[in-house]
Amino acid sequence: MKPSPSARDAAKDIFYGQIAIIWARWFFILATAILALWSATDIFAMTLAIVLVVVLMATNFFVHGRYLMDQPVNRLLLMGVCLLDLGVASLLILGAAGPGGLASEYHVFLYPLLFAFALVFSPRTTLTYTLIAMGLYATTCWVLNPEALFDMKLLNMLSARLIILAAMGGLGTYYWRVQRERRRELTNRAALVRGM
Amino acid sequence: MLPTKPLPSEQAYGHLLIIITRWILIVAGLFLTLMVPGPMVILRTQILVILLLSVANFYLCAQVLTRKPIQDLVAYGVCAADIAVITTSVILQGGFESNTFIYYFPAFLAFSVALPTFLLVAFAGGALSLYAFISLITLPVPSTDFQTLIIRLLMLTAVAVCGHQYWSMERRHQQALTARTALALHDTPLPPMPVEPAAPIAPTAPAVA
Repeated sequence: MKPSPSARDAAKDIFYGQIAIIWARWFFILATAILALWSATDIFAMTLAIVLVVVLMATNFFVHGRYLMDQPVNRLLLMGVCLLDLGVASLLILGAAGPGGLASEYHVFLYPLLFAFALVFSPRTTLTYTLIAMGLYATTCWVLNPEALFDMKLLNMLSARLIILAAMGGLGTYYWRVQRERRRELTNRAALVRGM
Repeated sequence: MLPTKPLPSEQAYGHLLIIITRWILIVAGLFLTLMVPGPMVILRTQILVILLLSVANFYLCAQVLTRKPIQDLVAYGVCAADIAVITTSVILQGGFESNTFIYYFPAFLAFSVALPTFLLVAFAGGALSLYAFISLITLPVPSTDFQTLIIRLLMLTAVAVCGHQYWSMERRHQQALTARTALALHDTPLPPMPVEPAAPIAPTAPAVA
């Protein structure tokens, strides 16, 4: 059975866009490895952190390997991997390595992860992922720093971070739409020429 | 019938993305400035800078709306201005301690998909070096924050690399499609397309030769 045009488009998005997620993950893994080697204070903490890094590396080796073999992983697995990254980043923000909440510096992990996700998945899926990321971050900050609800300075800091998170998802989606339309237009033209 | 209308160039989309990013930065900047206003002198300067940026962005927006191409030099000047404004804001708020470095993220995103490789390296590399330098001289000594700085720089680089990898991949694919169309028009045997996925991909995408 011939796949529908939208299914084919979605498959192409995964096929071509996957490289963005792979690179974002390599940077994320490198940063977590630096964190693990630098901030662990005892052998147990170091072992735990390194195991986590190894798991992340193994998944990305698999995803990258499949990509290099022109057999990219499917949508579900890719989404699972992205959710795993979001989970790890949220754990770090929660205070798994250093101060948590608003004081945590690890909110920076979320920006490239969101951007890469937006370049691959449809706007609706990206919206869900972005809202999950923003919701997790805001909740973590408010749970660990309840004073952020009343302190305008802290609220300002949190708002800025949430706005940039939304911007990364939104701009990524905009560019995704531009590229999809261009690709579709070029494919249609090629089909028209072949049919002449 | 063959479509005769040319597709808007990759650059035009890139310029549009820069303009949208700037509107986001302007609106966010204004909102956050008014949320926690500083002393009058600083507030006045901040609002003046934001208004100037919005006037400049309105000019770019008008160019796009009237379908006039934006000169490359103007677009590059706009990118440089963005870096200058964000960096100045970082310096004014204490360098490394400043939270405004996060505005580099959307700026890098726009650069990564709007600029050719060498200009991306120049702009993003320049901004990263500048930020690293400012942070290093404002980092409290002795400090454990060096690792934080490295992570910030790594994540900024990640945004630039991801966007550029995606841009390159799409470009290669679209060039191949255009070349095939052109060859077909001239009755030349078609070269093979780059490997494409069989849709929907499940459980893994088998390569289609």
